This record gives sequence, structure tokens and C-alpha cells, in this order.
Amino acid sequence: MAVREKSASSVAATGSVRARKSADALATAILWILASSIVVILAAFVLYMVYLGWQALTPAFIFGTPKETEAGGGIGPEIYNSFYILILTLIFTIPIAVSAGIYLQEYARPGTFRNIVQFSAESLATVPSIVMGLFGLLVFVYLFKWKFSALGGALTLTLLNLPALMRVTQEALSSVPDTLREASMGLGGTKWQTITRVVLPSAIGRLTTGVVLVAGRIFGETAALIFTAGLSVSVNQPYDLSPFHTAETLAVHLWYTHSESIVKDVDRIGNGSALVLLIMVLVFNVAARVAGRALTKHFTGRTS
Amino acid sequence: MIALQARRSHRVERIALVGLRFAAFFVILAMAALLGYLAYEGTKTFSADHVSLGEFLFSPNFAVDAGHPGSAVFIAGSLAVTVFAITVGGPIGIAVGIFLAEIAPARMTQLLKPAIEVMVGIPSVVYGWLGLTLLVPLIRTHTSSPTGFGLAAAGIVLSIMILPTVITLSEDAFRSLPPALKEGSLALGATRWQTITRVLLPSASSGLAVALILGIARAIGETLAIQMVIGNATQFPQGLFAPTAALTTEIVTDMPGATQGSLLEHSLFSMALLLLLIAMVLILLVRFVLRRRT
Repeated sequence: MAVREKSASSVAATGSVRARKSADALATAILWILASSIVVILAAFVLYMVYLGWQALTPAFIFGTPKETEAGGGIGPEIYNSFYILILTLIFTIPIAVSAGIYLQEYARPGTFRNIVQFSAESLATVPSIVMGLFGLLVFVYLFKWKFSALGGALTLTLLNLPALMRVTQEALSSVPDTLREASMGLGGTKWQTITRVVLPSAIGRLTTGVVLVAGRIFGETAALIFTAGLSVSVNQPYDLSPFHTAETLAVHLWYTHSESIVKDVDRIGNGSALVLLIMVLVFNVAARVAGRALTKHFTGRTS
Repeated sequence: MIALQARRSHRVERIALVGLRFAAFFVILAMAALLGYLAYEGTKTFSADHVSLGEFLFSPNFAVDAGHPGSAVFIAGSLAVTVFAITVGGPIGIAVGIFLAEIAPARMTQLLKPAIEVMVGIPSVVYGWLGLTLLVPLIRTHTSSPTGFGLAAAGIVLSIMILPTVITLSEDAFRSLPPALKEGSLALGATRWQTITRVLLPSASSGLAVALILGIARAIGETLAIQMVIGNATQFPQGLFAPTAALTTEIVTDMPGATQGSLLEHSLFSMALLLLLIAMVLILLVRFVLRRRT
């Protein structure tokens, strides 16, 4: 500390005041430009995708079925599969991730077990999604012999998104002030009663925001699904309810049409699918905020 | 009555704890299963097909039909795109992190934060599609590259994709510094920029290292976005505008055609194992950096 203060004072003494001030102004300007350009580039991306894709977004495209060889295919079943896998994934992920998050944040004392859980979660969080996809292939397709299935895809995505949701849970819980916990325990509540009736309701807004943002990422996930959920929609019926149907999602469809398919209107399908995916990202982001704010207000009366 | 209720809540308490502990244990189980299964499947190249580890890692001869799964090309490709991404995206990300923590007025923060969250949410394939429809034609018309596919296209797409990670983590690194550090420097007459470069940057260095390491982890595992623009040619990166391939893109390109139990399949699993080990080494590195700080 002492060294740093000394260096700061000697720094201030070097160079003329004007030179230092103009260097400061120049650096500030550059940082402003860099930060603004991120917003500008993102806005340009969005506008470009809209420009490319808006003509493709006809009801026949959004609700129609895909075609293998000729032009004019739609993406209805793919959108259905994306939501099917998303919901299935959330059903598996939320209970496990929230429980593990509660355990780490509220119960676990520092020690070997907590350390190993945390290291596993961190490692799992950095596993590339294609590697998780190959693991899913080994387990669900080869070992369990499910072939390509919505269930196998959803379970693979569960493993992939567990750590992110655990983080979300831990951050939401840590935002709840300890005074609330102390008040509840002081009134004779047990730890579990405190968590379920005091801590979780206060954290539910933040938790929901995080869950919906992760849901947006699950919706667009691709690499982990190619070898687990498959590259085609169900052969029995386009809107198949069975968890064991082959379930190509919209994001996978965008990649597959571009790289492997032989239909003539690849560009139209790609532009349209990319725009739908982008719109869904924006919808999930707005929904995350709105839902989080509403729940926080409902349960705590606070507005932030 | 009260005693009965108390006993019941004690039981609920115990059951809840068992459930929570099991969920935490499941995380360990998942990671162990992933590592174990991939280690088993990924070493078949060496155990069943008797290829040496040296040949797999260092030979550029990828001819699986002739029994040679040398993957040096893909390893070099992965390293090249990652170095590109972290050299371009790393400094920009840290700069924007500084901006958010030290300079941005509230209104700008309210604009940037959601923008960064949207960037995180945009699927990898959409980045790939943007690269394909926007970047590749641009490179094709403005350079000597005949196709536009290659290292530069993949590197630029990746640089943008790692930005949210680097920005968020470096902003956190600056925000976690004690305010007295900044106040002391400003009070001694240093300008804001001097304070940032000579006081805050050195103090936040371990946090920034973590931001860069996790940016690298994000870049090296990214698959479809770069698979769509890298060109997928089994050759070493020959300059910025020549097509090449990376570990992840090779897996996606050849896995659909690989028969179960073939050398091709085994070598693709070896590549996946290699990627997994790299990810774990990076996490250990993060832990090392953070431990040294405290």
C-alpha cells in the first residue's frame, strides 16, 4: 500500500499538468469510442439480420414443415423442438442446480467436500459444448441406445447448464441480507423454514431473471445437440410428443441447412432462422427483466 | 403439540439437507463421469490402435485410413484462432471493463449492460451466420483470399464472442478494489488516467488475468461459429486469409461420418479429451492466480 501511494505521488510530479490532462482526455475519449462501438456494432448486427431475414418471415415459413430436397421448407417443427428441449432441460436443471446452489451458499462449511463441489462446477462450466455433446453421444446414444432423442439432448444440456444456474442461485441468495435470516431464526424458525419462507421469496426475483437468461442460452444451444438430439425432425409426425423422438432444434437447423443440406433456398432458410433466433434472444432478455422485477416487487415490496 | 411440531420440523430439516447434499454430490458425479468416460474413450487411439501420443500431438499427417491420426494441424489451428481472439478481444474487453467501472455515467451503463447480455445470449450459430454472410464476403473482396474463409474470419468472430466474458470479469476486477486506492491517488494530484494505468491496473492484475484466462477457455472451445467461417481445410494456418481447421471444427466436420470403433472416431474422441484437459488446466490456472492474490 505504502509503495503504491508513493508511486502515485511521484507520478503526479512528472510531466507538465497540461500534458497529463490531455493524455487523460485522450484516453477517456478512446474508451468512450470503444464502449460506444460495442453498442453500435450490436445495433448494426440486429438491423442487418432484420434486413436479411424479414422477407423470409412468412406464416408459411414459421409454421410450415421443412423439406429435404426442394425449396419452400418451413421451420415449425424446429421451433417446437427448441421449446420442447428447453422445457425438458429446465425441468431437470432447476431442481438440481437450485438445490446445489442453496447447499453451497447456505449450508456448506469450508472444507474438502465444498471444495470438490466447487471445482467440479467450475470445470463443468468451462467444458466446451461440443465436448459435452460427445459425452452425450457416448452415454445416451451408444450406452443407453436411445438413438438421437429430445431426452438425450435435454439431459446433455442439463449437464452443460448446471453450473450457470448454480451460480445464478448462489448470487441471488447472497443478495439477501443476513439480517433477514437472523430475524427469522430469532423468531424460532429452523434453517430450512428460514430458507423456504424468507430467503427464497426475497431472492426469487433475481433467481427468475437468471433462470430466464440461461433459458435463452439453452434455446440457442447447438454444438451439444448435433450428436445427441439429431439433425432431423421426428419421422413419425412433425410435432411429436414422445421424449424419444429425433429432435432437430432451430439453431441446429440453421447450421445443418448451411453446411450439409441440398435445398436451393439455403439463404432464405438461414436468414429467416437466424432472425427468429435473434428475436427469441431479445424476447428472453426482456422477459427476464420484466419477470424478475415483478416477482421482486410482489414478494418484497422493493422495486429493484 | 408444540413438541410434536418441533420434532416434525427437525425431521424435515434433516431430509432437506440430505436432498441438498445429494444435488451437490450430483455435480461431482457429473464431472467425474464426464472425465472418466472421455478418458476411457479418448485413449483408445493409444491403447487399441497403438498410435503413440507423440504422433497424435505432433504429427501433421492426418490420414486415418492409412493409420495416421496426427492432429498437429488442428491443435495449431485451435491455438492460432485463440491467440488471435485474445490479442484482439482481450485488450478491447479490458478497456471496456475499465470504462464501465471507472468512467461510464449511469445512462451509458444502462445501455451497455443489456447490450452485453444480449451478446451473451446470441447463439453461436447466429454469430457464425453473421460471419458467413457479412465478414467472409468482405474479406473475399478486400484481400487476395479467393474464398474469404480462414483464420482471420474465425479470429474476428471469436474476438467478438469472448468480449462479454472479458468485459464482465474485468469490470468486476476493478469494482472489487478498495476505493481508498483510487481516492488516495486522485488526492495526490494524479489524473484519472494516471490513476487507472499506474494504480488500478497493477492492483487489479490478478482479476484481469482471470478475465483473460476464461476468455481463452471460451475461445478454444467454441465450435460452430468458427466451423462456419474457418474453411475446414486440413492444413496448418498459412497466413491470416488461408483456410485451416481447429480441434472443435474437426470434430463437428468428421464425426457424422465416423463409424463406431474406427480410428477416425477414436482420434476425434482423443481431440475431445484434449479439449477437456485444456479446459481443466485453465480452471486450475484461475484457482492458482486467485489463491496467490489472497
